[in-house]
Amino acid sequence: MKCEEARKLLPMYLYGELAPSEEEACEAHVDECELCRVEMERQSRLNRLLEAQEEMLPAGMLTLARQQLRTRLAEERPHQGWRSWVRDIFNVRMRPTPAWMQAAAAAALIAAGYLGARVAPWGVSSAELYGRPVASRIQYVEPEKSGRVQIVMDVTRQRIVRGELNDADIQNLLMKATREAENAGVRVQSVELLKRDCGSDAIRNAVLGALQHDPDPGVRLVALDALRGFAWEPDTREALSQVLLTDRNPSVRTQVINVLVEQKQDAMIGVFQDLIRREDDAYVRQQCGRALHAMNASAEEY
Amino acid sequence: MQATAAAVTGTVQKLDEASLIRAAQRGDERAFEELVRLYDQQVLRLAYNVLRSAEDANDIYQEAYMRVYRNLHAFRFDCSFQTWLYRIVTNLCLDALRKRKVRKEESGTVETADGSVDRMASVEEQRVHGNPQREVLAREMRERIDGALGGLTPRERMVFELRHYHGMRLRAIGETLGTSEEAAKNCLFRATQKMRAALGDLV
Repeated sequence: MKCEEARKLLPMYLYGELAPSEEEACEAHVDECELCRVEMERQSRLNRLLEAQEEMLPAGMLTLARQQLRTRLAEERPHQGWRSWVRDIFNVRMRPTPAWMQAAAAAALIAAGYLGARVAPWGVSSAELYGRPVASRIQYVEPEKSGRVQIVMDVTRQRIVRGELNDADIQNLLMKATREAENAGVRVQSVELLKRDCGSDAIRNAVLGALQHDPDPGVRLVALDALRGFAWEPDTREALSQVLLTDRNPSVRTQVINVLVEQKQDAMIGVFQDLIRREDDAYVRQQCGRALHAMNASAEEY
Repeated sequence: MQATAAAVTGTVQKLDEASLIRAAQRGDERAFEELVRLYDQQVLRLAYNVLRSAEDANDIYQEAYMRVYRNLHAFRFDCSFQTWLYRIVTNLCLDALRKRKVRKEESGTVETADGSVDRMASVEEQRVHGNPQREVLAREMRERIDGALGGLTPRERMVFELRHYHGMRLRAIGETLGTSEEAAKNCLFRATQKMRAALGDLV
Protein backbone atom coordinates (compact mmCIF):
# COMPACT_ATOMS: atom_id res chain seq x y z
CA MET A 1 0.00 0.00 0.00
CA LYS A 2 1.28 3.46 -0.89
CA CYS A 3 1.24 6.40 1.50
CA GLU A 4 -1.33 8.30 -0.60
CA GLU A 5 -3.75 5.39 -0.41
CA ALA A 6 -3.14 4.91 3.32
CA ARG A 7 -3.82 8.60 4.05
CA LYS A 8 -7.19 8.26 2.34
CA LEU A 9 -8.11 5.29 4.47
CA LEU A 10 -6.87 6.61 7.81
CA PRO A 11 -9.96 8.59 8.83
CA MET A 12 -12.23 5.64 8.00
CA TYR A 13 -9.85 3.32 9.83
CA LEU A 14 -10.21 5.45 12.95
CA TYR A 15 -14.00 5.35 12.60
CA GLY A 16 -13.86 1.57 12.22
CA GLU A 17 -15.54 1.82 8.84
CA LEU A 18 -13.09 -0.16 6.72
CA ALA A 19 -13.59 -3.63 5.32
CA PRO A 20 -11.41 -6.20 7.17
CA SER A 21 -8.98 -6.55 4.28
CA GLU A 22 -8.54 -2.76 3.98
CA GLU A 23 -8.10 -2.53 7.72
CA GLU A 24 -5.32 -5.10 7.76
CA ALA A 25 -3.53 -3.47 4.83
CA CYS A 26 -3.80 -0.08 6.53
CA GLU A 27 -2.41 -1.39 9.80
CA ALA A 28 0.46 -3.11 8.04
CA HIS A 29 1.39 0.10 6.25
CA VAL A 30 1.24 2.26 9.39
CA ASP A 31 3.46 -0.23 11.22
CA GLU A 32 6.14 0.27 8.60
CA CYS A 33 5.70 3.95 7.71
CA GLU A 34 6.72 6.53 10.32
CA LEU A 35 5.12 9.48 8.47
CA CYS A 36 1.76 7.80 8.14
CA ARG A 37 1.89 6.76 11.80
CA VAL A 38 2.39 10.37 12.79
CA GLU A 39 -0.45 11.38 10.52
CA MET A 40 -2.72 8.81 12.10
CA GLU A 41 -1.89 10.12 15.57
CA ARG A 42 -2.63 13.69 14.50
CA GLN A 43 -5.93 12.65 12.97
CA SER A 44 -6.77 10.83 16.17
CA ARG A 45 -5.92 13.90 18.28
CA LEU A 46 -8.09 16.05 16.02
CA ASN A 47 -11.00 13.66 16.54
CA ARG A 48 -10.60 13.88 20.30
CA LEU A 49 -10.37 17.65 20.15
CA LEU A 50 -13.61 17.86 18.18
CA GLU A 51 -15.34 15.49 20.58
CA ALA A 52 -14.29 17.60 23.55
CA GLN A 53 -15.74 20.69 21.90
CA GLU A 54 -19.21 19.26 21.42
CA GLU A 55 -21.86 21.59 22.75
CA MET A 56 -24.00 20.26 25.57
CA LEU A 57 -27.67 21.18 25.56
CA PRO A 58 -28.33 24.28 27.68
CA ALA A 59 -30.05 23.44 30.96
CA GLY A 60 -33.81 23.46 30.71
CA MET A 61 -33.84 23.32 26.93
CA LEU A 62 -35.17 19.77 26.71
CA THR A 63 -37.84 20.43 29.33
CA LEU A 64 -38.96 23.51 27.47
CA ALA A 65 -39.06 21.67 24.15
CA ARG A 66 -41.13 18.85 25.65
CA GLN A 67 -43.49 21.31 27.23
CA GLN A 68 -44.03 23.20 24.00
CA LEU A 69 -44.59 19.97 22.13
CA ARG A 70 -47.21 18.90 24.64
CA THR A 71 -49.04 22.19 24.15
CA ARG A 72 -48.87 21.91 20.36
CA LEU A 73 -50.11 18.33 20.44
CA ALA A 74 -53.01 19.31 22.68
CA GLU A 75 -53.97 21.97 20.16
CA GLU A 76 -53.60 19.57 17.24
CA ARG A 77 -55.39 16.66 18.82
CA PRO A 78 -59.13 16.68 18.96
CA HIS A 79 -60.31 16.47 15.41
CA GLN A 80 -63.22 14.75 17.13
CA GLY A 81 -64.57 17.91 18.72
CA TRP A 82 -65.12 18.59 22.35
CA ARG A 83 -68.25 16.50 22.67
CA SER A 84 -66.31 13.29 22.37
CA TRP A 85 -63.90 14.58 24.99
CA VAL A 86 -66.79 15.16 27.31
CA ARG A 87 -68.11 11.73 26.47
CA ASP A 88 -64.75 10.14 27.26
CA ILE A 89 -64.33 12.01 30.48
CA PHE A 90 -67.75 11.24 31.83
CA ASN A 91 -68.39 7.98 30.09
CA VAL A 92 -71.90 9.25 29.56
CA ARG A 93 -73.92 8.69 26.44
CA MET A 94 -74.89 11.99 24.82
CA ARG A 95 -78.43 12.64 23.78
CA PRO A 96 -79.52 15.32 21.36
CA THR A 97 -81.21 18.16 23.18
CA PRO A 98 -85.00 17.76 22.95
CA ALA A 99 -86.73 20.47 20.94
CA TRP A 100 -88.94 21.55 23.83
CA MET A 101 -85.88 22.32 25.88
CA GLN A 102 -84.26 24.45 23.21
CA ALA A 103 -86.54 27.30 24.14
CA ALA A 104 -85.27 27.43 27.69
CA ALA A 105 -83.38 30.65 27.97
CA ALA A 106 -81.13 30.01 30.93
CA ALA A 107 -77.48 30.05 30.00
CA ALA A 108 -74.69 28.56 32.01
CA LEU A 109 -71.31 30.13 32.10
CA ILE A 110 -68.36 28.16 33.33
CA ALA A 111 -65.05 29.89 33.59
CA ALA A 112 -63.26 27.44 35.81
CA GLY A 113 -59.85 27.29 34.16
CA TYR A 114 -58.93 23.73 34.99
CA LEU A 115 -62.30 22.42 34.01
CA GLY A 116 -62.36 24.26 30.72
CA ALA A 117 -58.77 23.37 29.95
CA ARG A 118 -59.40 19.66 30.14
CA VAL A 119 -62.53 19.79 28.07
CA ALA A 120 -60.81 21.13 25.05
CA PRO A 121 -61.49 22.67 22.02
CA TRP A 122 -62.69 22.96 18.51
CA GLY A 123 -65.69 22.16 16.38
CA VAL A 124 -68.19 23.34 18.93
CA SER A 125 -71.85 22.98 18.13
CA SER A 126 -74.29 24.55 20.53
CA ALA A 127 -71.74 25.92 22.96
CA GLU A 128 -69.22 28.66 22.31
CA LEU A 129 -65.62 28.57 23.47
CA TYR A 130 -63.20 31.35 24.18
CA GLY A 131 -59.62 30.77 25.23
CA ARG A 132 -56.41 32.48 26.18
CA PRO A 133 -53.18 30.93 27.37
CA VAL A 134 -52.47 31.08 31.07
CA ALA A 135 -49.14 30.43 32.76
CA SER A 136 -49.93 28.10 35.58
CA ARG A 137 -46.70 26.82 37.07
CA ILE A 138 -43.12 27.98 36.89
CA GLN A 139 -40.90 24.94 36.57
CA TYR A 140 -37.49 26.43 36.24
CA VAL A 141 -35.75 29.81 36.36
CA GLU A 142 -32.25 30.38 35.07
CA PRO A 143 -30.45 33.73 35.02
CA GLU A 144 -28.36 34.28 31.90
CA LYS A 145 -25.05 36.05 31.86
CA SER A 146 -26.40 38.80 29.62
CA GLY A 147 -28.74 39.85 32.44
CA ARG A 148 -31.73 38.24 30.79
CA VAL A 149 -33.51 35.33 32.37
CA GLN A 150 -34.85 32.05 31.04
CA ILE A 151 -38.09 30.81 32.56
CA VAL A 152 -39.58 27.40 31.87
CA MET A 153 -43.26 27.20 32.71
CA ASP A 154 -46.29 25.07 32.18
CA VAL A 155 -48.91 26.79 30.09
CA THR A 156 -52.53 25.78 30.31
CA ARG A 157 -55.31 27.23 28.28
CA GLN A 158 -58.25 28.76 30.04
CA ARG A 159 -61.52 28.42 28.18
CA ILE A 160 -64.95 29.81 28.59
CA VAL A 161 -67.75 27.51 27.57
CA ARG A 162 -71.18 29.01 26.95
CA GLY A 163 -74.35 27.13 26.31
CA GLU A 164 -77.93 26.51 27.23
CA LEU A 165 -78.47 25.05 30.66
CA ASN A 166 -80.38 22.17 29.11
CA ASP A 167 -77.51 21.35 26.74
CA ALA A 168 -76.25 17.87 27.64
CA ASP A 169 -72.62 18.97 27.35
CA ILE A 170 -73.14 21.92 29.66
CA GLN A 171 -74.89 19.66 32.12
CA ASN A 172 -72.01 17.21 32.00
CA LEU A 173 -69.56 20.01 32.69
CA LEU A 174 -71.65 21.17 35.62
CA MET A 175 -71.78 17.66 37.01
CA LYS A 176 -68.03 17.42 36.65
CA ALA A 177 -67.70 20.75 38.44
CA THR A 178 -69.72 19.45 41.37
CA ARG A 179 -67.12 16.72 41.80
CA GLU A 180 -63.87 18.33 40.79
CA ALA A 181 -63.89 22.11 41.01
CA GLU A 182 -61.44 23.12 43.71
CA ASN A 183 -63.38 26.21 44.68
CA ALA A 184 -66.38 25.39 46.89
CA GLY A 185 -68.16 28.46 45.51
CA VAL A 186 -67.97 26.97 42.01
CA ARG A 187 -69.38 23.71 43.34
CA VAL A 188 -72.26 25.52 45.07
CA GLN A 189 -73.04 27.42 41.88
CA SER A 190 -72.92 24.23 39.81
CA VAL A 191 -75.32 22.39 42.10
CA GLU A 192 -77.62 25.42 42.08
CA LEU A 193 -77.69 25.40 38.30
CA LEU A 194 -78.34 21.67 38.11
CA LYS A 195 -81.20 21.94 40.60
CA ARG A 196 -83.88 22.57 37.99
CA ASP A 197 -83.04 19.37 36.10
CA CYS A 198 -82.91 16.94 39.00
CA GLY A 199 -85.54 14.89 37.18
CA SER A 200 -82.73 13.32 35.17
CA ASP A 201 -81.17 10.30 36.88
CA ALA A 202 -77.61 11.34 36.06
CA ILE A 203 -78.07 14.82 37.49
CA ARG A 204 -79.90 13.60 40.57
CA ASN A 205 -77.08 11.14 41.23
CA ALA A 206 -74.51 13.90 40.80
CA VAL A 207 -76.35 16.12 43.27
CA LEU A 208 -76.76 13.19 45.64
CA GLY A 209 -73.03 12.56 45.30
CA ALA A 210 -72.38 16.17 46.31
CA LEU A 211 -74.64 15.76 49.34
CA GLN A 212 -72.92 12.56 50.41
CA HIS A 213 -69.30 13.36 49.66
CA ASP A 214 -68.65 17.07 49.34
CA PRO A 215 -66.30 18.24 52.11
CA ASP A 216 -67.96 21.66 52.29
CA PRO A 217 -71.24 21.80 54.31
CA GLY A 218 -72.43 24.79 52.22
CA VAL A 219 -72.34 22.63 49.09
CA ARG A 220 -74.09 19.79 50.91
CA LEU A 221 -76.87 22.14 52.04
CA VAL A 222 -77.47 23.40 48.50
CA ALA A 223 -77.48 19.81 47.24
CA LEU A 224 -79.99 18.89 49.91
CA ASP A 225 -82.20 21.77 48.87
CA ALA A 226 -82.02 20.57 45.26
CA LEU A 227 -83.19 17.12 46.31
CA ARG A 228 -86.05 18.38 48.46
CA GLY A 229 -88.58 17.72 45.71
CA PHE A 230 -87.40 14.12 45.29
CA ALA A 231 -87.50 12.91 48.86
CA TRP A 232 -90.64 10.96 48.01
CA GLU A 233 -88.57 8.54 45.93
CA PRO A 234 -87.51 5.51 47.97
CA ASP A 235 -83.90 5.60 46.71
CA THR A 236 -83.45 9.28 47.43
CA ARG A 237 -85.12 8.92 50.80
CA GLU A 238 -82.83 6.05 51.68
CA ALA A 239 -79.81 8.13 50.74
CA LEU A 240 -81.10 11.05 52.81
CA SER A 241 -81.56 8.75 55.80
CA GLN A 242 -77.93 7.71 55.51
CA VAL A 243 -76.84 11.35 55.34
CA LEU A 244 -78.91 12.07 58.43
CA LEU A 245 -77.09 9.40 60.39
CA THR A 246 -73.60 10.08 59.09
CA ASP A 247 -73.18 13.76 58.18
CA ARG A 248 -70.77 15.55 60.52
CA ASN A 249 -72.48 18.91 60.32
CA PRO A 250 -75.50 19.61 62.66
CA SER A 251 -77.02 22.15 60.22
CA VAL A 252 -77.05 19.57 57.46
CA ARG A 253 -78.58 16.97 59.77
CA THR A 254 -81.25 19.45 60.89
CA GLN A 255 -82.12 20.29 57.30
CA VAL A 256 -82.32 16.62 56.37
CA ILE A 257 -84.81 16.17 59.19
CA ASN A 258 -86.88 19.06 57.78
CA VAL A 259 -86.89 17.52 54.32
CA LEU A 260 -87.74 14.04 55.50
CA VAL A 261 -90.45 15.07 57.90
CA GLU A 262 -92.32 16.68 55.02
CA GLN A 263 -92.72 13.22 53.53
CA LYS A 264 -94.59 11.97 56.54
CA GLN A 265 -93.41 8.47 55.76
CA ASP A 266 -93.78 6.00 58.58
CA ALA A 267 -90.58 4.39 57.48
CA MET A 268 -88.79 7.52 58.67
CA ILE A 269 -89.87 7.05 62.25
CA GLY A 270 -87.27 4.35 62.87
CA VAL A 271 -84.55 6.53 61.37
CA PHE A 272 -85.48 9.47 63.59
CA GLN A 273 -85.61 7.25 66.66
CA ASP A 274 -82.20 5.87 65.73
CA LEU A 275 -80.84 9.40 65.36
CA ILE A 276 -82.25 10.74 68.61
CA ARG A 277 -80.43 7.99 70.51
CA ARG A 278 -77.03 8.71 69.05
CA GLU A 279 -77.26 12.44 68.38
CA ASP A 280 -74.79 14.62 70.35
CA ASP A 281 -76.12 17.98 69.27
CA ALA A 282 -78.95 19.20 71.49
CA TYR A 283 -80.60 21.28 68.76
CA VAL A 284 -80.64 18.41 66.31
CA ARG A 285 -82.05 16.13 69.01
CA GLN A 286 -84.75 18.69 69.68
CA GLN A 287 -85.62 18.96 65.98
CA CYS A 288 -85.71 15.23 65.71
CA GLY A 289 -88.08 15.03 68.69
CA ARG A 290 -90.35 17.59 67.05
CA ALA A 291 -90.35 15.62 63.82
CA LEU A 292 -91.38 12.48 65.66
CA HIS A 293 -94.05 14.42 67.49
CA ALA A 294 -95.36 15.81 64.17
CA MET A 295 -95.57 12.23 62.92
CA ASN A 296 -97.41 11.19 66.09
CA ALA A 297 -94.55 8.97 67.08
CA SER A 298 -92.65 8.54 70.29
CA ALA A 299 -88.98 9.26 70.68
CA GLU A 300 -88.55 5.74 72.02
CA GLU A 301 -88.63 2.53 70.04
CA TYR A 302 -91.14 -0.04 71.13
CA MET B 1 -60.48 8.56 33.06
CA GLN B 2 -57.87 8.94 35.77
CA ALA B 3 -58.02 5.27 36.60
CA THR B 4 -57.56 4.43 32.92
CA ALA B 5 -54.64 6.81 32.64
CA ALA B 6 -52.97 5.24 35.65
CA ALA B 7 -53.47 1.79 34.23
CA VAL B 8 -52.03 2.90 30.90
CA THR B 9 -48.96 4.40 32.57
CA GLY B 10 -48.30 1.16 34.31
CA THR B 11 -48.58 -0.79 31.09
CA VAL B 12 -46.59 1.62 29.00
CA GLN B 13 -43.48 1.12 31.10
CA LYS B 14 -43.40 -2.49 30.12
CA LEU B 15 -44.02 -1.95 26.47
CA ASP B 16 -41.23 -2.37 23.99
CA GLU B 17 -40.73 0.11 21.20
CA ALA B 18 -42.88 -1.70 18.65
CA SER B 19 -45.79 -2.02 21.07
CA LEU B 20 -45.37 1.61 21.97
CA ILE B 21 -45.58 2.58 18.31
CA ARG B 22 -48.68 0.45 17.78
CA ALA B 23 -50.35 1.91 20.85
CA ALA B 24 -49.53 5.43 19.68
CA GLN B 25 -50.89 4.56 16.23
CA ARG B 26 -54.16 3.64 17.92
CA GLY B 27 -54.28 7.09 19.47
CA ASP B 28 -52.85 6.34 22.91
CA GLU B 29 -51.48 9.73 23.92
CA ARG B 30 -49.35 8.47 26.76
CA ALA B 31 -47.73 5.91 24.52
CA PHE B 32 -46.93 8.69 22.08
CA GLU B 33 -45.35 10.72 24.82
CA GLU B 34 -43.22 7.74 25.82
CA LEU B 35 -42.24 7.28 22.22
CA VAL B 36 -41.16 10.91 22.01
CA ARG B 37 -38.99 10.50 25.08
CA LEU B 38 -37.11 7.53 23.64
CA TYR B 39 -35.03 9.65 21.30
CA ASP B 40 -35.93 13.27 21.83
CA GLN B 41 -32.79 14.19 23.71
CA GLN B 42 -30.68 12.88 20.82
CA VAL B 43 -32.89 14.69 18.36
CA LEU B 44 -32.49 17.98 20.17
CA ARG B 45 -28.74 17.47 20.56
CA LEU B 46 -28.40 16.73 16.85
CA ALA B 47 -30.34 19.83 15.82
CA TYR B 48 -28.54 22.01 18.36
CA ASN B 49 -25.10 20.82 17.33
CA VAL B 50 -25.74 21.20 13.64
CA LEU B 51 -27.54 24.52 13.77
CA ARG B 52 -25.73 26.01 16.77
CA SER B 53 -28.83 27.87 17.81
CA ALA B 54 -31.19 26.95 20.64
CA GLU B 55 -34.15 28.61 18.92
CA ASP B 56 -33.59 26.90 15.58
CA ALA B 57 -32.98 23.55 17.28
CA ASN B 58 -36.22 23.87 19.19
CA ASP B 59 -38.07 24.69 15.96
CA ILE B 60 -36.67 21.53 14.38
CA TYR B 61 -37.64 19.47 17.44
CA GLN B 62 -41.21 20.75 17.38
CA GLU B 63 -41.66 20.34 13.66
CA ALA B 64 -40.09 16.87 13.61
CA TYR B 65 -42.35 15.49 16.31
CA MET B 66 -45.45 17.14 14.86
CA ARG B 67 -44.62 15.34 11.61
CA VAL B 68 -44.12 12.11 13.50
CA TYR B 69 -47.49 12.64 15.17
CA ARG B 70 -49.28 13.35 11.90
CA ASN B 71 -47.66 10.54 9.95
CA LEU B 72 -47.21 7.82 12.52
CA HIS B 73 -50.27 6.02 11.19
CA ALA B 74 -48.36 5.48 7.93
CA PHE B 75 -45.28 3.99 9.65
CA ARG B 76 -45.13 0.36 8.53
CA PHE B 77 -41.99 -0.90 10.30
CA ASP B 78 -40.09 -1.01 7.00
CA CYS B 79 -37.14 0.47 8.83
CA SER B 80 -36.42 1.13 12.49
CA PHE B 81 -38.38 3.91 14.14
CA GLN B 82 -35.13 5.68 14.92
CA THR B 83 -34.11 5.68 11.27
CA TRP B 84 -37.55 6.99 10.28
CA LEU B 85 -37.35 9.70 12.92
CA TYR B 86 -33.81 10.67 12.01
CA ARG B 87 -34.81 10.87 8.36
CA ILE B 88 -37.36 13.51 9.30
CA VAL B 89 -34.96 15.36 11.57
CA THR B 90 -31.98 15.32 9.19
CA ASN B 91 -34.16 16.54 6.31
CA LEU B 92 -35.37 19.43 8.43
CA CYS B 93 -31.81 20.23 9.53
CA LEU B 94 -30.52 20.06 5.96
CA ASP B 95 -33.28 22.43 4.82
CA ALA B 96 -32.41 24.83 7.63
CA LEU B 97 -28.69 24.68 6.79
CA ARG B 98 -29.36 25.28 3.11
CA LYS B 99 -31.64 28.22 3.82
CA ARG B 100 -29.07 29.64 6.16
CA LYS B 101 -26.35 29.29 3.52
CA VAL B 102 -28.52 31.06 0.95
CA ARG B 103 -29.28 33.85 3.44
CA LYS B 104 -25.60 34.23 4.21
CA GLU B 105 -24.62 34.36 0.56
CA GLU B 106 -27.34 36.87 -0.21
CA SER B 107 -26.51 39.19 2.66
CA GLY B 108 -22.78 38.60 2.55
CA THR B 109 -22.57 38.80 6.33
CA VAL B 110 -21.93 36.37 9.10
CA GLU B 111 -25.00 35.77 11.27
CA THR B 112 -24.12 38.07 14.09
CA ALA B 113 -27.71 39.24 14.31
CA ASP B 114 -28.71 35.72 15.28
CA GLY B 115 -29.34 35.37 19.00
CA SER B 116 -27.73 31.97 18.84
CA VAL B 117 -24.31 33.49 18.41
CA ASP B 118 -24.73 35.49 21.58
CA ARG B 119 -25.97 32.43 23.36
CA MET B 120 -22.97 30.40 22.31
CA ALA B 121 -20.66 33.14 23.51
CA SER B 122 -22.36 33.24 26.89
CA VAL B 123 -22.11 29.46 27.28
CA GLU B 124 -18.42 29.73 26.49
CA GLU B 125 -17.89 32.44 29.05
CA GLN B 126 -19.58 30.44 31.76
CA ARG B 127 -17.45 27.42 31.06
CA VAL B 128 -14.04 29.09 31.47
CA HIS B 129 -15.12 31.86 33.74
CA GLY B 130 -12.34 33.12 36.00
CA ASN B 131 -9.40 32.46 33.73
CA PRO B 132 -9.07 35.18 31.08
CA GLN B 133 -6.28 33.48 29.20
CA ARG B 134 -8.12 30.18 28.94
CA GLU B 135 -11.24 32.11 28.06
CA VAL B 136 -9.56 33.70 25.07
CA LEU B 137 -8.04 30.40 23.97
CA ALA B 138 -11.33 28.54 24.33
CA ARG B 139 -13.16 31.18 22.35
CA GLU B 140 -10.55 31.09 19.62
CA MET B 141 -10.72 27.32 19.48
CA ARG B 142 -14.49 27.45 19.31
CA GLU B 143 -14.39 29.95 16.50
CA ARG B 144 -11.86 27.90 14.59
CA ILE B 145 -13.97 24.76 14.88
CA ASP B 146 -17.18 26.59 14.05
CA GLY B 147 -15.43 28.07 11.03
CA ALA B 148 -14.22 24.63 9.90
CA LEU B 149 -17.66 23.08 10.35
CA GLY B 150 -19.16 26.05 8.52
CA GLY B 151 -16.92 25.23 5.56
CA LEU B 152 -18.64 21.87 5.06
CA THR B 153 -21.59 21.50 2.72
CA PRO B 154 -24.88 20.82 4.54
CA ARG B 155 -24.71 17.17 3.55
CA GLU B 156 -21.09 16.78 4.64
CA ARG B 157 -21.94 18.53 7.89
CA MET B 158 -24.79 16.14 8.52
CA VAL B 159 -22.82 12.98 7.74
CA PHE B 160 -19.93 14.22 9.88
CA GLU B 161 -22.30 15.01 12.76
CA LEU B 162 -24.03 11.64 12.63
CA ARG B 163 -20.78 9.67 12.45
CA HIS B 164 -18.59 11.73 14.68
CA TYR B 165 -20.95 12.89 17.42
CA HIS B 166 -23.76 10.34 17.27
CA GLY B 167 -21.66 7.27 16.51
CA MET B 168 -23.97 6.11 13.74
CA ARG B 169 -22.60 3.56 11.30
CA LEU B 170 -22.22 4.65 7.69
CA ARG B 171 -24.79 2.09 6.57
CA ALA B 172 -27.39 3.62 8.92
CA ILE B 173 -26.38 7.12 7.85
CA GLY B 174 -26.92 6.15 4.22
CA GLU B 175 -30.32 4.72 5.06
CA THR B 176 -31.28 7.83 6.99
CA LEU B 177 -30.20 10.22 4.27
CA GLY B 178 -31.66 8.11 1.49
CA THR B 179 -28.31 7.28 -0.08
CA SER B 180 -25.85 4.37 -0.29
CA GLU B 181 -23.28 3.46 2.32
CA GLU B 182 -20.59 4.19 -0.24
CA ALA B 183 -21.91 7.67 -0.95
CA ALA B 184 -22.08 8.38 2.78
CA LYS B 185 -18.49 7.17 3.10
CA ASN B 186 -17.29 9.50 0.35
CA CYS B 187 -19.13 12.36 1.97
CA LEU B 188 -17.54 11.61 5.34
CA PHE B 189 -14.14 11.39 3.71
CA ARG B 190 -14.54 14.84 2.12
CA ALA B 191 -15.67 16.23 5.47
CA THR B 192 -12.67 14.82 7.36
CA GLN B 193 -10.31 16.14 4.69
CA LYS B 194 -11.74 19.62 5.04
CA MET B 195 -11.63 19.52 8.83
CA ARG B 196 -8.03 18.27 8.73
CA ALA B 197 -7.03 21.03 6.35
CA ALA B 198 -8.72 23.72 8.42
CA LEU B 199 -7.62 22.55 11.87
CA GLY B 200 -4.44 20.57 11.18
CA ASP B 201 -2.21 23.15 12.87
CA LEU B 202 -4.02 22.60 16.18
CA VAL B 203 -2.86 19.01 16.54
